[in-house]
Amino acid sequence: MADVGHAVAQTRRMTARQWGLLIVGVVITVLGVTMITGSALSGLARLVIPIVLIGTGMAITVAAIRSRTRVAYWLLIPGGLWLIIFYVIPMTQLARTSLEEGTFQTGFEFAWRWDNFAEAFTTFGGQFFRSLLYGGVATIIAIAIGYPLAYFIAFRGGRYKNLLLVMVLMPFLVPFLLRTLAWKVILADDGFVVGVFQTLGLVEENGRLLATGIAVVAGITYNFLAFMTLPIYVSLEKIDHSLVEAANDLYASPMVAFRKVTWPLSRPGVVAGTLLTLIPAAGDYVNAQLLGTPQQFMIGNVIQSRFLVVLDYPVASALSLTLMVAVLLIIIPYVRATGTEELVA
Amino acid sequence: MAVAEVLRQNPSAPRRRLGKFVKRHLLTVYAMAVLAYLFIPVAVVILFSFNNNQGRFNFTWQGFTLRSWRNAFDVPGLFESLLVSLRIAFLSALVATVLGTLIALALVRYSFRFRGTTNILLFLPIATPEVVLGSSVLALFITLNVATGFATIVIAHILFNISYVVVTVKARLSGFDRHLEEAAMDLYADEWTTFRKVTLPMIMPGVFAAFLLGFALSFDDFIITNFNSGQTVTFPLFIWGAARVGVPPQVNVFGTAIFVITASIMLLSVFLQRSRRTQF
Amino acid sequence: MTKRFSDIVAVDDLTLDIEEHRFFALLGPSGCGKTTTLRMIGGFEEPTTGTIRLDGQDVTGLKPYRRLANTVFQSYALFPHLSIYENVAFGLRRTKVSDSEIKTRVGEMLDLVQLAGLEKRRSGQLSGGQQQRVALARALINHPKVLLLDEPLGALDLKLRKEMQIELKRIQTEVGITFVHVTHDQEEAMTMADTIAVMNEGRIEQLGSPTEIYERPRSRFVANFLGASNLMSVRVIDAEAGRVKMADGVELGVDPDALEASEGEILVGIRPEKIRLAMPGDSDLPRNSLEVVVTDASFIGVATQYLVRTSTGAELSAVAQNVGAHRYSPGDHVLATWEPGHTFAVHG
Repeated sequence: MADVGHAVAQTRRMTARQWGLLIVGVVITVLGVTMITGSALSGLARLVIPIVLIGTGMAITVAAIRSRTRVAYWLLIPGGLWLIIFYVIPMTQLARTSLEEGTFQTGFEFAWRWDNFAEAFTTFGGQFFRSLLYGGVATIIAIAIGYPLAYFIAFRGGRYKNLLLVMVLMPFLVPFLLRTLAWKVILADDGFVVGVFQTLGLVEENGRLLATGIAVVAGITYNFLAFMTLPIYVSLEKIDHSLVEAANDLYASPMVAFRKVTWPLSRPGVVAGTLLTLIPAAGDYVNAQLLGTPQQFMIGNVIQSRFLVVLDYPVASALSLTLMVAVLLIIIPYVRATGTEELVA
Repeated sequence: MAVAEVLRQNPSAPRRRLGKFVKRHLLTVYAMAVLAYLFIPVAVVILFSFNNNQGRFNFTWQGFTLRSWRNAFDVPGLFESLLVSLRIAFLSALVATVLGTLIALALVRYSFRFRGTTNILLFLPIATPEVVLGSSVLALFITLNVATGFATIVIAHILFNISYVVVTVKARLSGFDRHLEEAAMDLYADEWTTFRKVTLPMIMPGVFAAFLLGFALSFDDFIITNFNSGQTVTFPLFIWGAARVGVPPQVNVFGTAIFVITASIMLLSVFLQRSRRTQF
Repeated sequence: MTKRFSDIVAVDDLTLDIEEHRFFALLGPSGCGKTTTLRMIGGFEEPTTGTIRLDGQDVTGLKPYRRLANTVFQSYALFPHLSIYENVAFGLRRTKVSDSEIKTRVGEMLDLVQLAGLEKRRSGQLSGGQQQRVALARALINHPKVLLLDEPLGALDLKLRKEMQIELKRIQTEVGITFVHVTHDQEEAMTMADTIAVMNEGRIEQLGSPTEIYERPRSRFVANFLGASNLMSVRVIDAEAGRVKMADGVELGVDPDALEASEGEILVGIRPEKIRLAMPGDSDLPRNSLEVVVTDASFIGVATQYLVRTSTGAELSAVAQNVGAHRYSPGDHVLATWEPGHTFAVHG
């Protein structure tokens, strides 16, 4: 017999046990945090032990929560901690370093040196611009190439959809650098492509394609094509075919149906693809290094050399930070428009 | 009545039919051309592993030979770099898969206050240019006085892999009937038993796919690795270093081998999926 | 008990006693709280306030795996990675029952639901009806104190659904376990249940046997939910004698018990199958009689459905069984007649 009757609601005050867990947890977490900055350990232990402490401390603190959602927090702690320590904190580090002054030999000191940014812009403004230019052109070409391909797979793929998708992805199983070097062969001065272009008059008689912006853009476009095609495919795939049929039924020719129905519905995919292409492309330096000359160098090349060769950490950090800010400026309107739930799905 | 007018003005004339024919096949031709474009560099890489190049550079075709294939292991440091890459890929993919799966479970199964923040935090590493990611992690290591090398590479790889793992597992998890876990609990399985006997087996394919994705991303990664490698040499780093002085064809040999093996696995899985679907 | 989801009250101050060994149905439209109530009994939701007692024992805070209740889910929720055998045995395996006993009991259960021989298959290889029976077997095998069914027949086609309704009722009678069945289909509830609780907006509108609820609905909602009700606005003249008057002065007879000593303006209703259409002058007419015009006549095979309009403009529906009686056409002026005893009165 099931008898469902009235009763009193549960109280919501914290018990002593909860307070105990909370305090112990916070203490351990704080201990771990302080250990990161000032401790006698060296090397990797310096990083690992505090992390373990912080993680444990947080887990204990979460145990103080009574509701079912505490399981969610426990699940989030390991990965979340990793992200915070190795992404968020480094970003703040980057900001800090960008305001330092000094040289590698004399050591660096935090000094609110905004000059680093000024220096960065004046000396390397050209590379910045070039990054955006190359990245932008590559993105546009990628849309032109990738959209019809995605459309084809989504609407004409039929039984071969999966196979076609795999084929789009397969070239990316060849290592990135090898792929890019292959373009060096394809666009070689005495190669087939250059020859054809010369015949068509697109390139002058003794001109080259390598060591020009064109080669770099070609490389970038190729390397990021999958990042453009797949998101577009996903959003095209979601379109209910009966919508297009309805448009046809209402006297729209295929062109019009595309403009008014398919294209708008695929826009989220195009936007996602654009982000996933433009942002990495702007920061790339491999294509420029392998297919171009210092005249084609992008901001990525500069950052790389500043960090690893010249060891001018402050300016390098300033450049890196600026690039990040530029990226954020592009992302924020996107996130606002689509909301946070769609981001990781 | 206006509709009838419009229809009368656009009769289905033979000319329109011809236009449609061209359009229909135009798209197919275009798509095939793009696919060809995608595979040309692959073909070049494979082809040039058979190049009989004289001297150090391997950019112009000089004849066919199996020399490089026979002496694949002769280049100092090449094979070692492959092993290093494999080890790093395995470790980072493993850890990232565990961490990421936990996060994905939290996101899909529970509602909690910091969802939005978590989603953003997971999205940012994917959206951040690799230069920024690599340089910032390096900045951290410098400040903490940690020497860069194998461990730091693994740490950095785990970082960017987590987000991809979450995306992959989350997709798989979302399509999961929520009631399955409730059914298990209804049948006297507590939370841990439910997870072991129902949830985990069901998400295994997704988790495995995430692991593979992480492995592939890690193995092929160059930029982030470049910043954090210290003296350790991974396969991509080897190629980068060799690019200046001349990339030996053996690199192409291994690149081809990697491609053939992984491509076969991918194609195999596609065909297996297709046959499983028709089977009933 | 009450269940609140943020600012939505899904179940509002509901008190319910369910008798054991009977087939109990929770009937209502989508969103009325019936599924929420079922889930609270099963342990998948916690009531915001209130208690739940199973066989005298308070189970309010207990997780589902600690309650002796089992559920058949709307989507069946069969474990796709396990065979049918393992699905059915799942609950038993959690309790330390021996392998041989499991084998016997699974065999018995599959016989009961007529799925013997399919042990090794996977759920993906079974039809909807078969999956549904597996879900049933999986739940029943544990001899729960109560079996909870969440609209389990919703995904089946009509013919199969009707078969399963009879099947479920048979099993319940044979096994003797209390069934609590949630549905929005009133025919289904009336076919299977011993007792029905009609729910609306988180509250129980009426509790009773199918006959009670159908013939004597107490509220407008219940009257309309179970079928056409032909509600008419009348004024009570004599509650003891059961006489009411319509707006145009026509007097009708009502069962005094149904009136329950109301006074003033109330609503009375009559089920369509109780109305007999006749020509003025026909003999043996029931006492209640209204002059109406036929506005629609639809032949549906077993019967003819009529829509008629009274002189006050109200539209009534009447159903005449297809036994060869005279069929009327739209435009005919006829009499709508019925026995006073069949009239019901709604209170709210």
